[in-house]
Amino acid sequence: MPSRVLVLLFTTCCSLSQGIVLHAQESICTHVLLGRVIDDHDRTPLEFAEVLLVGTDRGVVADIDGRFRLDGLCPGQITIRIAHLGCDPVERIVNVPRAQELVIRMEHHAHELREMEVVSKRPDEQVGHSHETVEADEMVRNAGAGIANMIGKVAGVTMLNSGPTLSKPVIHGLSGNRIVIMNQGVRQEDQQWGGEHAPNLDPFTTDRITVVKGAASVQYGSDALGGVIVTEPVPLPREGPIAGSFHGVGIANGRGGAAGLQLQGGLGNWRGFGWRVQASGRYLGDSEAARYVLSNTGDREAGASASFGYRDHRFSSTVYYSRFERQLGILRAAHIGSLSDLRAAIATGEPWFVADRTYAIDVPRQTMTHHLMKAEVGYAITERSRIVATYGYQLDDRKEFDLRRGGRSGTPALDLDLRVHSGDLVLKHWIGPQVHGRVGVSGSLQQNINVPGTGVRPLIPNYRRGNIGAFVIEHVPLSERLELEAGLRLEASKLEVAKFDANDVLINPVHEFTNGAFHAGMAWTLKDSTLVRFGVGSAYRPPHVSELYSEGLHHGAAAIEQGDPDLESERSLSATAEVDGSWADGRLTARLGLRSDRIDDMIYLRPDGTRLTIRGAFPVFQYVATNAVLHSADAQLGTCFGRRLKVDLRFNTVRAHDRGTGGWLFLMPSDRAAIEFTYTTIAKGKWEPWEFMVRGTQVLEQRRVSSDIDLDAPPPGYTLCDLSIGSGRTMGKDRLRFGVQVNNLFNAAYRDYLDRFRYFADARGTDVRLWFGYAFGSR
Amino acid sequence: MYKPTTQLTLALGLTLALAACKKDEKVDPITPPAPVNEEELITDVKIFFTDPSGNAYEWHAEIDDAGVQFNGDTLPANTLLQTEILVLDASTTPADTVSNEILAEGDEHQFFFQANGVDLTFAYSDSDVNGRPIGLLSQWQTGNAGAGEVVLILRHEPLKDAAGVSDGDITNAGGSTDIEVVFPAVLQ
Repeated sequence: MPSRVLVLLFTTCCSLSQGIVLHAQESICTHVLLGRVIDDHDRTPLEFAEVLLVGTDRGVVADIDGRFRLDGLCPGQITIRIAHLGCDPVERIVNVPRAQELVIRMEHHAHELREMEVVSKRPDEQVGHSHETVEADEMVRNAGAGIANMIGKVAGVTMLNSGPTLSKPVIHGLSGNRIVIMNQGVRQEDQQWGGEHAPNLDPFTTDRITVVKGAASVQYGSDALGGVIVTEPVPLPREGPIAGSFHGVGIANGRGGAAGLQLQGGLGNWRGFGWRVQASGRYLGDSEAARYVLSNTGDREAGASASFGYRDHRFSSTVYYSRFERQLGILRAAHIGSLSDLRAAIATGEPWFVADRTYAIDVPRQTMTHHLMKAEVGYAITERSRIVATYGYQLDDRKEFDLRRGGRSGTPALDLDLRVHSGDLVLKHWIGPQVHGRVGVSGSLQQNINVPGTGVRPLIPNYRRGNIGAFVIEHVPLSERLELEAGLRLEASKLEVAKFDANDVLINPVHEFTNGAFHAGMAWTLKDSTLVRFGVGSAYRPPHVSELYSEGLHHGAAAIEQGDPDLESERSLSATAEVDGSWADGRLTARLGLRSDRIDDMIYLRPDGTRLTIRGAFPVFQYVATNAVLHSADAQLGTCFGRRLKVDLRFNTVRAHDRGTGGWLFLMPSDRAAIEFTYTTIAKGKWEPWEFMVRGTQVLEQRRVSSDIDLDAPPPGYTLCDLSIGSGRTMGKDRLRFGVQVNNLFNAAYRDYLDRFRYFADARGTDVRLWFGYAFGSR
Repeated sequence: MYKPTTQLTLALGLTLALAACKKDEKVDPITPPAPVNEEELITDVKIFFTDPSGNAYEWHAEIDDAGVQFNGDTLPANTLLQTEILVLDASTTPADTVSNEILAEGDEHQFFFQANGVDLTFAYSDSDVNGRPIGLLSQWQTGNAGAGEVVLILRHEPLKDAAGVSDGDITNAGGSTDIEVVFPAVLQ
């Protein structure tokens, strides 16, 4: 087992680009290299370090004194890589022959060792949670896609769209305010209450996204009913020359592209210091559906981030800043004035406005700017206990421009300024030799202001929300194979609102909510190849101010929405089970995730008649609470045929009942299945294997709908076919990867039930994307 | 050896410290929103009719939170009426004449009329900068006596060059509805 862990660690933590600097001549290859690996801090030998001759499959393991011997070497330059549990791997270029013993000093983080061991087996925060990770490789391939599309392949994840430009992730049928997004360790705070509010964050800032599929309020605080999306911060380098990567993608549908550059390095002789800067952009014109242009669906984005930090074996500190700006058009044909316009759009079945493709973005449109500043300090109080303090500040500025009369289209109809301070203090600790966990407090203060000057009554009022919580999570490994986790969180929040009531009198209602959540989980390794997770947990979500105080016409949605100030917190109880196994030397893999949620006081919009206005009749929707039950399952089955061909099957299903009315819940994803064939060639020299992938996705019609709630029947099911070809090549220490992706290969005209614009137009047609990623410098 | 009790004490202490900080903090009262004058409000739609002998008739639709109220004169049968539409926002003082904005952006607006149950035909008598109708001015030819309704629709950014639209057919107009009022109509 320990050696397994070591190997696992090596592959997970130290996966390096395959640098090859071996220029061996065909001469007498009998030279010997002697070396010794020692701890940089206290000069003690590091026993059993792995020493690899880069570019070959040769390697040796150091002895108990840290000594190693490589023989049979040819004269010239060789590169060796040394890896040790709890160390950052080190690469050295050595001239052969070399007479003296080579001394390799490694940074050994004894305090992190145990944590890493835990991480290597399973991410320590998710013992009882079903979760899936999108890795860097997959992200490079999808460069230029939004965060929701990035994780769209994860089983159980679907998207709630408003045309091609706005996508919100949906986890097992739950989305928006019921999903927490952790961006760089800080809870993302932006406007998430409306269907047309996509998360404001740049996927280029991370190289790993984890999706937690279960109620997880203990770890992540309120709102984590549906799940959590964690964009993980990339650890800063501690030393070394400048390295980096460049990604680019050309996107045919929309005739645009995206690119991102990232650079990182150490500070010369100042060991422990590291920095990283990153910038990215995206530019797209109008998208096209199978048969027509989706007018006014241009999209542009620009993001940049910088971080700087110091880390040694006791102390660590990082500052991070990112800015993300986005401007997007909203399908022109989806802007409607009244219920009769909507009925007319449904009746014709075609968008009423189709113009020539353009890059210009007209009204209706949105502009968003999101700033995140983060400072983090960590200190190892003892060998094994570490305290980490994090402070985050976010500024989210959202402007929505509507089609207005009298030259007002240049004035935003909605202008919101949201500022959030958040802080938390976490103590990672050990109790005895086995039990370990985290205890902490967290708090946040947010203020939302309607910037004056819109000339439109604000849809949501000004408010301030304070939040304070305390939590504890402990892990108890009962054996090598069985680990338990239990946690508890208490949280209190206070919401102060300032708004004008119907008679234009200023009112200042105050709401207070106190909530608690628990989680208990178990991860059980049945065999080396089969892992079972069980979890039972609860989550809560105080009502959002929009649910309490929305009042008025939701432009574009052609609906009057009314809040209810008496709504209480949603509380959920969730149980998850996951089996993850592989058999026949990994040739057969299977994963099955099951989940049940019982959500009490689940808030939703219920149709409440129509109201006659000057624009004609509008449906009135009232925020009400009901009790709901959701059951969902996602499954994956992978089989290898021979060494080259792999077939993957995926399946998702959700059943969501309203226990109050006995009907189905609105806007739940329909059942879907996908089959994926991947053929991989053999690596040839510096060429990485070519990978050919064909995927077919079948989405069924959503038949489980309550008839009274929707204006149109759900669209029929559809089949999509995607194609992807890619390869890579190492060039010295650099690595180039490239490929082509074709989405909706046969240009199918379809509409998805979870697209709010399905009343107006088809979804995107064929899209061809040419992508590449180039990583340079070490690591 | 580090004791768990020490850790818990520390955590508890920090919790209290943080909680205390929060309480001591004197926060400003939350900024009240600026009172908003709903700028694109329409409260009144009036139609003025003049018959060839100079007699005036008026229809009036008044909209508030409670709904829409109608006041309308009976129109003479078998008569050609010169018709003018006035749209007001009476929530401000003095009332804002929205029809002036409609006229100024004439190329982005068009009125449509539909008669149900009454014998009425409509013809535009104004035009925008492109020579296409707006509908603020029109001619209504009444037929035989009867009672029914007239639907008045104002579309913002309609496709005026689409088939039939400039002749008053709303089918291919598109755009978004700014006004949709159903007037009771009596011809005598």
